[in-house]
Amino acid sequence: MKAIEPIPCSTRYRSEIGKYQVSLTADCFHCGVCIEACPSGVLERKEGFNYVAALNSARCQGPLCQAGSFSCTTRCPVDAIKIDLAPQWKALGDFRWTPDLIITTWQQAETGEIPLGNLEYRVGGSGGGFDCFEFALDNPGSVPFSEIEKISTSICLNRRGEGRSLEIPIPWYGAGMSFGSVSLPTMLSRARAAKTWQTFTSTGEGGYPEELVPYKDHVITQIATGLFGVREETIQRAPIIEFKYAQGAKPGLGGHLLGDKNTPAVARKREAIPWTSLFSPFPFHSVYSVEDHKKHIDWVKTIHPDALISVKVSTPSDVDMVAVGSYYAGANIINLDGGYGGTGAAPEIAKKNIAMPIEYAITKVHRFLVEEGIRDEIVLLASGGIRTAHDIAKSIALGADGVIIGTSELVALGCVRCGNCESGRGCPRGIATTDSELDQLIDPEWGAQRIINLYAAWQKQLRLLLYQVGLKDIKGLRGRTDLLRYTNGR
Amino acid sequence: MYERYRIETSPIKLASTQIGKFDIIRKDNCLNCGQCISHCIYDVHRRDEKDHRKMAEPVSHLCKNCFACVQNCPGQALEMVRNEEFESLGDAYWTPPIIHAIWKEAEEGKIPVYGAGYRGRFKGSGFDAIWTDMSEIVRPTRDGIHSREYIATAVDVGRKPSWIIDFENLDLPRFHEIQIPMLFEADPLGIRAKNIILAVVRAAHELGTLAYVDFENSFDELEPYIKSVVLRSPLDRIFQTDPALLRKASFVELTLPESHPADELEGVLTRLKSHNPALLVSLGLSSHLFTEELFRLVEESLVDVLNLSADHHGQCSGGEMFITDSTRKLHLNLVKRHIRDGITLLGKGGIAAAEHVPKLIICGTDAAVLDYSLMVALGCRMCEECRIKDCPAGLPGLDSEAAEQRIINLACAWRDQLLEILSAMGIRDVRRLRGEVGRAMFYEEIERESFGFIFEERYLFK
Repeated sequence: MKAIEPIPCSTRYRSEIGKYQVSLTADCFHCGVCIEACPSGVLERKEGFNYVAALNSARCQGPLCQAGSFSCTTRCPVDAIKIDLAPQWKALGDFRWTPDLIITTWQQAETGEIPLGNLEYRVGGSGGGFDCFEFALDNPGSVPFSEIEKISTSICLNRRGEGRSLEIPIPWYGAGMSFGSVSLPTMLSRARAAKTWQTFTSTGEGGYPEELVPYKDHVITQIATGLFGVREETIQRAPIIEFKYAQGAKPGLGGHLLGDKNTPAVARKREAIPWTSLFSPFPFHSVYSVEDHKKHIDWVKTIHPDALISVKVSTPSDVDMVAVGSYYAGANIINLDGGYGGTGAAPEIAKKNIAMPIEYAITKVHRFLVEEGIRDEIVLLASGGIRTAHDIAKSIALGADGVIIGTSELVALGCVRCGNCESGRGCPRGIATTDSELDQLIDPEWGAQRIINLYAAWQKQLRLLLYQVGLKDIKGLRGRTDLLRYTNGR
Repeated sequence: MYERYRIETSPIKLASTQIGKFDIIRKDNCLNCGQCISHCIYDVHRRDEKDHRKMAEPVSHLCKNCFACVQNCPGQALEMVRNEEFESLGDAYWTPPIIHAIWKEAEEGKIPVYGAGYRGRFKGSGFDAIWTDMSEIVRPTRDGIHSREYIATAVDVGRKPSWIIDFENLDLPRFHEIQIPMLFEADPLGIRAKNIILAVVRAAHELGTLAYVDFENSFDELEPYIKSVVLRSPLDRIFQTDPALLRKASFVELTLPESHPADELEGVLTRLKSHNPALLVSLGLSSHLFTEELFRLVEESLVDVLNLSADHHGQCSGGEMFITDSTRKLHLNLVKRHIRDGITLLGKGGIAAAEHVPKLIICGTDAAVLDYSLMVALGCRMCEECRIKDCPAGLPGLDSEAAEQRIINLACAWRDQLLEILSAMGIRDVRRLRGEVGRAMFYEEIERESFGFIFEERYLFK
């Protein structure tokens, strides 16, 4: 496939949030030296105005550039420029998604490039798991830098030796997010990006909106415990069918869509009553054994013989047994969904306390599948807490084939992770909402470009990482725990 | 007629708990254009009532951190900062989010549900180093929370004979069935406020559980609820209490002083039991150093309940051991001596969130005793100012009925969350959870199992 060039796609806000706030003191006489100096375009003289203003503080790279000749503070003849930490930077984010991670994800979605500057874009601040180790980058020099573009990041999604073969050029696809949990423009943005990148996105459990049909070769559909919106034709449309047994953010608790968001349009898709809370039960009450599970898969294969089967499970202590069971039932893909993953609505108690984080589950399952001698016949994908390109690489080094991405795509669309998706009118930023006014805030074309750019930036980072560890193909990274080094969160 | 146990909640707000997490600041360069009004869906921004040309001060406590107003402001005139009052709540253990969660639970009586994934640290110490397990595919799970199936949360507090010795002379079990595995401490702050003590005791009565009250804090209004009260006294002062009250009591707890003569405890216990053979006696332990004497008293049926207390940060014996570790140790010790099933083990201290209850039960107790969390439900900020002057949240002046409803709401929210955990595990009875460490994952073990082969041990646990 030919390379995908990112197209710059700026924020949809007038006053974007950054880490730094640039301000001009009363000494400023508006000479404009700073405008020419700043490489990021922070300062501006609007046409028709005499004065200079720091209109784009969010682009400021901070004190890092003070060493260079292009620093506004050193060039200013009267010392009139002040650079402070922006007050809202401290109000943004949390331990898992630090303000730095959110802002750099926005930057990547805007430019499609690896973030410059001194913001931490690789790890969060959770003090464990992915945030506690890194790659030991002592480049063995086996790959010449000029060939970095040739480093392969593709993975295969069917390794069973039968059925159709399916390859994606990047080792990830989009996670299930239902119509109801997110808006239709959000789904369309994701589907367009998936098509551009020749990868996939998933409908989640909430029916298959007709608007997605033009992208059907890149849309996975989910069969979850509530069977909301599952029909024969939706199954026949999808190249991959995903059985959702559980979701990492609420393992063992089924699915939740609170009444406020269940608008008539959502209810129609789900064949339910509008404005009632919809709870998918837990578990599939028709599946209590591997044999029952196989019956499920056979049922789908009868309707759509060509489909690949993915099984999404969360991470209890016996997840390794579950994975082996799924393999013998005929699954092509095991999707492990870790406890720290995203959700449109989940009880707070379930997000931290039930089931293990994905980092633990990957090594556990990978090693067990290797011992069982079936590792190379099944595709192991990790999700639930994968935030950055570095998280992707680490998941693969721990033993996954690839990953599934959810929250990061929403952050690319402007999510600040305020956590108000579950009720009322839903997302005030127009992403995870079903409100007919708020969902207009996202233009699918803009949204798609933001996600395409994020993917491009991630692919560049993966290639750089592979180059730095001396690998030509991401498939060679799987299980290479020897490349990892413990940092204890620095 | 058989009726399922259920808790009646009723939303109740307290003015003292309306503290937002963020402050929205409107700077002087605001143009009063009103863009923020249309972008805020939470009603933080309004026009000035008196002068519609101006914007009113933002109503910050309604803000939900979405940044829409800040980012859409054409003049960069709005700022969002962390609210210092919120940030200064509690301490390192009773963190602002923990206090805020209890306030919300006590206000609404519901399980807190939010969008977006987990936001906290990967792991912590104490309760935060434990994950509970769930069942996937192969074990039947339960759906208790939507009442499609029933999950029992009742436990027995007291003594059960392990086996029948003499059919002619049946030793009847002596226990008190409580409907939720949570007991209450009526005055953990030691402020002796009658309205609060009455509220806790009445809530315990209403919920079908028990509340601990010191003999010296007992008063006449508690009389109708005396069956729901555990009266407590230090060992050396039990017989100096009001004999009439002692006669009415069905359940007493003795707290042990630092040291006491070896035979004193046995003497007191024998005398108590000879006065009233039906009396349930609990021993309040504050150390994780368990003596042989203790186990002998349990074996001889002189003690029916062991209540292991930690401080408000969950630390036992002055910080040597976390409560979950001491209860695990005591539980296993009792199991090894074949006396675990005969008695009840309770744990108290540091229980600050709904998930702490099942985690403590997994670590060997039958039920948990809630102390400071009840006070936080009433608006307490864990500031310890009550030790020197008046309570800033006005606890002593709180309406007793409102306080009772707040506690009932909290208990309902926590019980429902316990049901969530149990249903995810596929357990239908909370009594089955006791000591089930197989249904939990402990940080050190799982870190070693998953990462031990990658990184050297000395890095992992430094």
